[in-house]
Amino acid sequence: MTDRVVVTGLGMVTPVGVGRAAAWEALLAGRCGVGPVRSFDASRHSACRGAEIHEFEPRPFFRRLEPDSVGRASQLAVAAARLALADAGMEAEELDPLRSGVALGTTSGEPREVERLDDRLLADEQGPAGGDFLARYPCHVLPEVVAAELGLAGLNVMIPAACAAGNYAIAFAFDALRRGRADLMLAGGADCFSRITYTGFARLGAIAPERCQPFDRNRQGMIPGEGAAVLVLEPLAAARRRGARVWAEVAGYGLSCDAHHMTAAHPEGDGAARAMTAALHSSRLEADRVSYVSAHGTGTPTNDRIESRAVRRVFGERASKLPVSSIKSMIGHTMGAASAIEAAVCALAVAEDRVPPTIHYEEPDPECELDCVPNQAREHRVEVAMSNAYAFGGNNASLVLRKCA
Amino acid sequence: MSPSSDPQVVITAAAVLTPLGDEPAAVHQALCAGRTALAPLNGNYGGGLPPLTGAPFAEFDAGRYLPGGSLRPLDRVSRLAAATTGRALEAGGWTAEECRRRQLGLVLGTMFGGVGTIAAFDRRAMTAGPAYAKPMDFANSVINAAAGQTAIRHRLEGINATVSAGVPSGLQAIGYAADLIRMGQAEALVAGGVDELCFETLHAFAGAGRLCPAGDGAARPVPFEARRGGRALGEAAALLVLESADCAAGRGAPVLAVLRGQGTGFDPSRGGSPEGTAAAIARAVELALAEAGLAATDLDCLAAGASGCPAGDRAEALGVAGAVGESARRLPVTACKGALGETLGASGPLQTVLLLEAMAAGVLPGIAGLERPEEDLPLGGLSADARPLAARRGLVTSVGLDGKSCALVVERC
Repeated sequence: MTDRVVVTGLGMVTPVGVGRAAAWEALLAGRCGVGPVRSFDASRHSACRGAEIHEFEPRPFFRRLEPDSVGRASQLAVAAARLALADAGMEAEELDPLRSGVALGTTSGEPREVERLDDRLLADEQGPAGGDFLARYPCHVLPEVVAAELGLAGLNVMIPAACAAGNYAIAFAFDALRRGRADLMLAGGADCFSRITYTGFARLGAIAPERCQPFDRNRQGMIPGEGAAVLVLEPLAAARRRGARVWAEVAGYGLSCDAHHMTAAHPEGDGAARAMTAALHSSRLEADRVSYVSAHGTGTPTNDRIESRAVRRVFGERASKLPVSSIKSMIGHTMGAASAIEAAVCALAVAEDRVPPTIHYEEPDPECELDCVPNQAREHRVEVAMSNAYAFGGNNASLVLRKCA
Repeated sequence: MSPSSDPQVVITAAAVLTPLGDEPAAVHQALCAGRTALAPLNGNYGGGLPPLTGAPFAEFDAGRYLPGGSLRPLDRVSRLAAATTGRALEAGGWTAEECRRRQLGLVLGTMFGGVGTIAAFDRRAMTAGPAYAKPMDFANSVINAAAGQTAIRHRLEGINATVSAGVPSGLQAIGYAADLIRMGQAEALVAGGVDELCFETLHAFAGAGRLCPAGDGAARPVPFEARRGGRALGEAAALLVLESADCAAGRGAPVLAVLRGQGTGFDPSRGGSPEGTAAAIARAVELALAEAGLAATDLDCLAAGASGCPAGDRAEALGVAGAVGESARRLPVTACKGALGETLGASGPLQTVLLLEAMAAGVLPGIAGLERPEEDLPLGGLSADARPLAARRGLVTSVGLDGKSCALVVERC
């Protein structure tokens, strides 16, 4: 059994940049990817801004499949996977197809396919449904499309754990490698901007009118976004054999469920605290070893208050001095991709000893007594990074990455 | 492969909700008696569909299974999952206190989740305006809603995960749960799958030409039948309680079976060739046998995922035979989709529960509707009739439309 698993490739597709270098540079610079919604008519909604990826061109990432034959989330996932492999210095053709797998997470899969179906039904009630709905919609197509595009026949799974799904998928891949079920895993998450998701968050009154301001006293909500990230995970021994650059080591993870409410977190942050504690336990680390926390930090009044409380419960007084930032201030909430992108950010923070800021931070909130790395990225020694993700359904997932010694 | 120090994963309880019954033993008896849930769908699922056969619940009264507390926040697929989980907890003797103490969790496989809810939410927003879309429907629009709602209903604070892998979603969920237990992330987990029959799932399959036409005298939705013409959709939920052998011993829970091995296979051509699909199935079976440390000759029976799909059933037969060799001629085979239809995410766990029931009862149900098995299939044990069965070890296979496959090897205690 392989004990140690490392991250050797990072593929990031975000509203502030496509590709690891572009995205990381933008996040460190505090660039904001939020603007007026363009991908559908939001004029009748109670909000109008989102974090879309406007200049995404899928073609360069597709060699085998026709990009138009798959939905947008699948396109984003393929791009992230290709970028991750390139970042790992690998070609898909070099991989052992039977021993290389894909694990992805998502919130909604391909919601635009439901929208297409509905548009057709509403235009002609009796007309036949689209013949390609079955091939394009169910969310398991995302990892399958990635594997088909890359020619990988190994373990293939979708874990649709909503907004914590990226962490679930990475944790799944970590275990699959440790159990010897694969020699290399591409793991991450993807979600596309959709009117369904946007309408839903608007109806919950969760969308901020202008900006996403996590932990700020005057924060007004989240901003829906889209994106994808894929991490190349492999056993440390294999990475060493091929002389790979190692961004970080996966130390462990913790999963829990609030079992409290579908869309609202447990008021005391019980589930969140249990996930963090379980992640530390599985990493065999004490809380005081953690040097950076990537917060779920959606920017809603409730999430940030409860998450701050949960972080304090786990880290005690040290919580005030521990850098805890939210990149959602820059790229919005990219749903199932969010924790995958945040895991990539944690890997980079661990590798480079730099942590990204929480932008739009103006006024401290006494209920969020954290060092949220306000507005400016920071040089900071990061031995161990924890990434938190919380989802509808009370699904909580914390992932721990550390420097690979 | 897995080290011997791994905790053994055992099955200590099972629950099903199907149109043929809500207890494993009752469904088993119905199958043995040759009953079928397949019937004409009578246009209850909206316009634009050709005449179809399906296996819906005649009536699903969730309140019977979930007394007390409002059912309003749960959509239909969540109710199926929550009701079946309630049955599993009851069957396994899991009190609320025990669930909390052991941090019992849930790993649920589903292909579509609440797609009907998602589409209804969107259609309302498009027709009445976004301000009239229902927030409660949005809460259920995420694919993990059924698992989350079930956790809330039964206060399951442990790991809560959803797995989507198409038809094999449920078997993949069982495999995922078993690994979480082996890795020490959980002591015990409820695991299995659910899917419902609804307008959107029917349209998805009908639009892709993947359903058996009804009213055509020649074609039938019967597994391995020479004149099969595609699947009939059904709906169900099926769940197992998995736990480490230590946990079961500590609770004094009787062990129904040991989960010996699991495997998956994937064809990157996504069903592009029958050979690719068969190879994926063969690989899943080979991996499951290898993990179990068993040879094909150790297997006593097969619960196939065959559904009446012309290409899929053939690929499954060839794939299984490719992995088990000559044993394919000898193994008695059952395929419950002949009576219960293609229940998607529920199907693999349903096959597993029913196979355990068959092993316990010593009778293997026949394949409902089977008149003339396709002639050159390498499976020798196909029969329409129930037969005596003396079996300890069973193989369960599940094959997706796109060649994704899962296999389990279970051993009765």
